[in-house]
Amino acid sequence: MSFEPITGRYLTVTVQGRRQRIYVEMAGEGTPVLCLHTAGADTRQWRHILNDTGLTKDHRFYAFDMPWHGKSLPPEGFQTEEYLLTTEAYIETVLAMSRALGLDRPILAGCSMGGRIALQLAALHGDAFSGFIAIEASDFQPAWYDIDWFHRPDAHGGEMGAALVSANISPHAPDSERWNTLWMFMQSGPGVFRGDLSFYTRDDSLIGRLPRIDTTRTPVHLLVGAYDLTCTPEDARRTAAAIPGATCTVMEELGHFPMSEHPAAFRPFFADALDRMKVPADV
Amino acid sequence: MRATLAMMQSRLNATPYLLRLGRLFSETVLLEVDGAEYYLTFRDGRLDQIAEGPSRKTPWRFALRTDGDALAQFWQPVPKPGFHDIFGLVKIGRGRIDGDILCLVKNLRFFKDFMALARTRTEELA
Repeated sequence: MSFEPITGRYLTVTVQGRRQRIYVEMAGEGTPVLCLHTAGADTRQWRHILNDTGLTKDHRFYAFDMPWHGKSLPPEGFQTEEYLLTTEAYIETVLAMSRALGLDRPILAGCSMGGRIALQLAALHGDAFSGFIAIEASDFQPAWYDIDWFHRPDAHGGEMGAALVSANISPHAPDSERWNTLWMFMQSGPGVFRGDLSFYTRDDSLIGRLPRIDTTRTPVHLLVGAYDLTCTPEDARRTAAAIPGATCTVMEELGHFPMSEHPAAFRPFFADALDRMKVPADV
Repeated sequence: MRATLAMMQSRLNATPYLLRLGRLFSETVLLEVDGAEYYLTFRDGRLDQIAEGPSRKTPWRFALRTDGDALAQFWQPVPKPGFHDIFGLVKIGRGRIDGDILCLVKNLRFFKDFMALARTRTEELA
């Protein structure tokens, strides 16, 4: 028997006055990197990075399931609530997790809505981190679809969500990883993808905050896949251009879930992004 | 186009997982290519009938309108960005989806996989 290097543990943090039992996976030794999954999915999206011994030899990666996602339970009383993620709750969750894990200014790496909140944290709490890797992240994306489609009694929200987001997966992605990626959306709890999309498609507060990000203290690097229809290269470039000193790389053969859909193609871009997180004083 | 649709029809009707996914799908879909209308009538996941337009009296549930070159690119083994998905065609201004979009979304994997049946498979190029 040979276990993967990833270990999973649970801890409880308090966010906005409520206790949240959170599942977190960890691997590696060295510079701490906190990893955030996309909407409607979970920490499994980071499985290839956490199992990559070339990266874990000098980085310790932490990836946690947001409340309501993956193996993190919803809070007590959820059964009569409408789940709607907010910028404030998301920021508090990430900060609470970083504190609870005892991390000292970790690198923050987030994808899609995780990339969006990484940029919010860069603007509002830059001192709590040492750098930001914002993957498939943009200032704002209004929805062309109706988010209510994904939570209704007469259809399976997860299957519809997976079919929708499959538009964002590159045809270069291996079939096995395409379907592993979509499976997470199919498993998403009722209304959770909708609640994440509410944050992602309705809160445009990041736009005005981008210029205040200080990349001389905390580097910001954006990665974007050419096949991403949700956050296009144009969206990511526009976002990077609004952050003085931010850099952006287009990944020609990747889509919206690069670390999960096509890990081999994503790896060099992510390794390069980690290298860029060293500020001149650290080199 | 007619021959391609007939090929997609025979592939669909010989693909068990698609017939299973579409078992509750009995609708008419309008596919419009370079202005030419094709009314695709599905019954229990099978493509029963392909009727050419123009027609003002054929009811349809949702429509995908595009052009022949965009579809040819969509059907490449590894399409370029934007041409890789029906919503990509819409995003890059080469397609339009009208009608009961919720019906499409409820049956999205089925319809997308049906549309991809004409995609040239890599092994066919070898």
